[in-house]
Amino acid sequence: MQTAVANANDIHSHDTHHGADHAHHELSFIRKYIFSTDHKVIAKQFMVVSLFFLFVGGLFALMIRWQLAYPGSAIPLIGNILPTNWVSDGAVTANFYTQLLTLHGTVMIFYVIIPLAVGMFGNFCIPLMIGTDDMALPRLNMFSFWLVPPAGLILLSGFFYDSGTAAAGWTGYPPLGPTSGPGQTTWLVSLFMIGFSSIMGGTNYMATVLNKRAKGMQLFQMPLTVWGLFITAILIVLGTPVLAAAISMQLCDQYLHTGFFMPDNLLVTAPDNTYVTNAFIAQGNQLLEHKQLLGGGGQPILWQHLFWFYSHPAVYIMILPGMGIVSDVLSTFARKPLFGYKAMIFAIMAIAFLGFLVWGHHMFQSGMNPLLGTTFMLSTIVIAVPSAIKIFNWLGTIWKGNIRFTAANMNALAFIATFIIGGLSGVFMASAPVDIYIHDTYFIVAHIHYVLFGGALFAIFSGIYYWFPKMYGKMLSENLGRKHFYWSFIFFNLTFYPMHILGVGGHMRRIYNPYIYEFLQPLQPMNQFVTFAAIVLGFSQLILIVNIFWSLKYGKAAPRNPWQANTLEWSAPAHPGHGNFDTDIVVYRGPYEFSVPGRDSDFYPQTEPPSENEVPIHSGH
Amino acid sequence: MNFDLSKGLEWAYKDMLTFFPENVSTFGAQLDSMFALIYWFSVGTFFLTYGLLVIFMIKYRYNENRKAYYFHGNNLIEFTWTLLPTIFFVGLGLWSDGAWTKTKYASRVPKPDVEIDVMGYQSGFGWEFRYAGPDGVFGNKDREQITISNPFGIDSNDIHGKDDFVIISPGGARPIPIHLPVNKNILVNLSSNDVLHSFFLPNFRVKQDALPGQWIKVWFNGSKIGTYELACAELCGTGHYNMRGQVFIDSQADYDKWLDEQYKITKPVLEAPVSSDTTIVASVDTKDSKTTKN
Ligand code: HEM
Ligand SMILES: [Cu+2]
Ligand SMILES: [Cu+2]
Repeated sequence: MQTAVANANDIHSHDTHHGADHAHHELSFIRKYIFSTDHKVIAKQFMVVSLFFLFVGGLFALMIRWQLAYPGSAIPLIGNILPTNWVSDGAVTANFYTQLLTLHGTVMIFYVIIPLAVGMFGNFCIPLMIGTDDMALPRLNMFSFWLVPPAGLILLSGFFYDSGTAAAGWTGYPPLGPTSGPGQTTWLVSLFMIGFSSIMGGTNYMATVLNKRAKGMQLFQMPLTVWGLFITAILIVLGTPVLAAAISMQLCDQYLHTGFFMPDNLLVTAPDNTYVTNAFIAQGNQLLEHKQLLGGGGQPILWQHLFWFYSHPAVYIMILPGMGIVSDVLSTFARKPLFGYKAMIFAIMAIAFLGFLVWGHHMFQSGMNPLLGTTFMLSTIVIAVPSAIKIFNWLGTIWKGNIRFTAANMNALAFIATFIIGGLSGVFMASAPVDIYIHDTYFIVAHIHYVLFGGALFAIFSGIYYWFPKMYGKMLSENLGRKHFYWSFIFFNLTFYPMHILGVGGHMRRIYNPYIYEFLQPLQPMNQFVTFAAIVLGFSQLILIVNIFWSLKYGKAAPRNPWQANTLEWSAPAHPGHGNFDTDIVVYRGPYEFSVPGRDSDFYPQTEPPSENEVPIHSGH
Repeated sequence: MNFDLSKGLEWAYKDMLTFFPENVSTFGAQLDSMFALIYWFSVGTFFLTYGLLVIFMIKYRYNENRKAYYFHGNNLIEFTWTLLPTIFFVGLGLWSDGAWTKTKYASRVPKPDVEIDVMGYQSGFGWEFRYAGPDGVFGNKDREQITISNPFGIDSNDIHGKDDFVIISPGGARPIPIHLPVNKNILVNLSSNDVLHSFFLPNFRVKQDALPGQWIKVWFNGSKIGTYELACAELCGTGHYNMRGQVFIDSQADYDKWLDEQYKITKPVLEAPVSSDTTIVASVDTKDSKTTKN
């Protein structure tokens, strides 16, 4: 490590050599790039795997969309080459459609957004932004990544069962979940593994933030990205074990005939009786009784409580890192201190705390006691307050700024724009009586995508444009970055905004052919419009991939601090090697000292010692 | 591939609120007006925040000669914009609760004029309805007696159950419609014998999941004669999309007439002897047969 530090002093040699770390000749290729314990390499591994899954999940989505636009007609290009137990005459079957929607949700949430927001940025940003050499527990970190590829392969392998993969939605509600075939098992096992990966990561981030901050750095001098990730880590560590427990219980219901989620006397269609507890089993037209089996006596709704007790906090696991990233990017490119630094942190804390009290808003129509509906409605409505505070503070940040429209900043501004809409649609659903009608319709689908694609993913894009130079030592092409942004932002809105209207029209989610219903038939042209927009949106993402590959090869070498930002990572070499920093890092001030009056330059790095006669500035207030 | 762009763009030029299917239930208008209120609040917030966003983006775009304003925020401002939304949102919550208790609390269900039992079924995907028959009283349910032809488990020892009749409606294009009288309080006892379903009557603004092992009370009062669609809104398997049902809202006279006829053509369940330990064969998997159990 010491040699790395010495060597990295020479920034130029570093840049021209693709940042190859000469000091680590002793590390084999495998230890350096595959089973690496360097947080930056692990971050890149998360990035590569998750971007791969982004395209997998996107492909699933486009197949779903085609069916909704033109039910029963062959999918262009790929329809006729897919296996015949997935498609008939080139169009997806109802069974395959249900698998696709299940896997789309699962992949996007557990294999794209969480690993990108938490796995990639958590790994890359935390050690660099708090000024340390690596995570507190590097080996645990490596394990946390290396659970992801096998978990992903297990998930995708489900498609190759004759009965197909999981088809109970990304929420896997029983009794449908445990009474469906082995595909559900691959789903459960894979989620269990990825959950464990999260827990390991979360523990590590907490330990790192609490123990490894650079000299002088107080908690209230950490940038919002680190705060967002730190609170996220707490959510992960408190929430994910509950998901793991619920998954184990569903597995037991499937194989050990326990009855956590299975009431007595079910009449279930099952591939064979292995998966059914105390139940009547209907096979085709025949009803077979299996009263001798044990189990039953459980409650399907218990799963929903456990699942949402994790999965509501999980939506904040997906968004809080993004909120942090956006705060940093906005402040940097507005050349202005973040508005209300502490208010922003308290808002994150409030969201995280309240996030554990609102899970029942997913269950208003589930048959849960409506008295609980009342309490969950009130807590949910209260959680809209910290979200509103954050919006106001971001607007306050760009007010009277000097705004540079880099690709990173455009994505950050887009985050605000879409999060406003996602938050507002949340208010509709938070009102339990209004939710009666829109629950399980496309209104919810619109909400999800405004907060997860429009929110979390745009923030992730923003972060990629912002930190790519530090990750790879090369600048991304701003030109391609802007193109990617414009195409994505426009077609994102054209794809997902109309879904609110479809939902108001009563369009249920998760239906294979809406036009069975007379009242949905007039909505078909809008569904077609959405599908065309979605196809363009999907292909626009290729611009990002092209940009990444092009810039890696031909991009400009990145300087140390390309954005003239204040946070510690920009004090590290342009392409830091194992060990990160080439100087001793001492923190003198908060991360948002932009445009300080009386200074020549409009930024003031956290590491720059104060000048002689200067009154020390406290953390960001 | 035909595509009508002007229809495809309807979302862009028509007011969102005009897309609701016609409301025909007594409480539906209240729910719709709550939606509308939040909608107008959202439109206001949208223009306010987007207005600021766009103005700031234009007015404060980069200019070499300008320096940004060095300002960290202000506690009074933070306090104000915390307090105002809090008041608004808590008010919204309390106000919402009235409509919520009215529509969902079991204790608030009005005295029913007509009561039916409803279950969704997964084996073939459709709906099962039970009417009380001429005596107007349901027989007891006995879960041990549930079979595929007696899905509600009507107790053969209970005299009131002898005349209960059950309509098993397939989903799809030609479901067997059920009829209900207009301007009457309808109470639906909702459950399921297999997986979750959700009883969704878009025109009545009614939605409630059907939960196996539990009976849930759902009520509504239809104020307009007509034919309406019933949908399933909770993923229940491959045929979920196909769980279409039909509800006729009739005048009382038409309803009485239908009830009478239906009782005659749909034999009460318990007239066919059912033994509990043999395999029962019943055809429920016929997507397009009009009648199943007669
Ligand atoms: C102002 C803040 C928010 C409020 C009041 C809110 C409220 C709600 C409510 C009430 C539901 C349940 C609707 C239903 O199923 O009927 C819901 C669903 C959902 N929300 Fe939010 N939400 C907010 C922010 C977010 C954020 C920030 C995210 C993610 C980053 C998010 C992700 C989701 C997802 C994924 C679902 C759907 C889950 C599913 O059923 O598949 N929400 N939200
Ligand atoms: Cu939630
Ligand atoms: Cu269903």
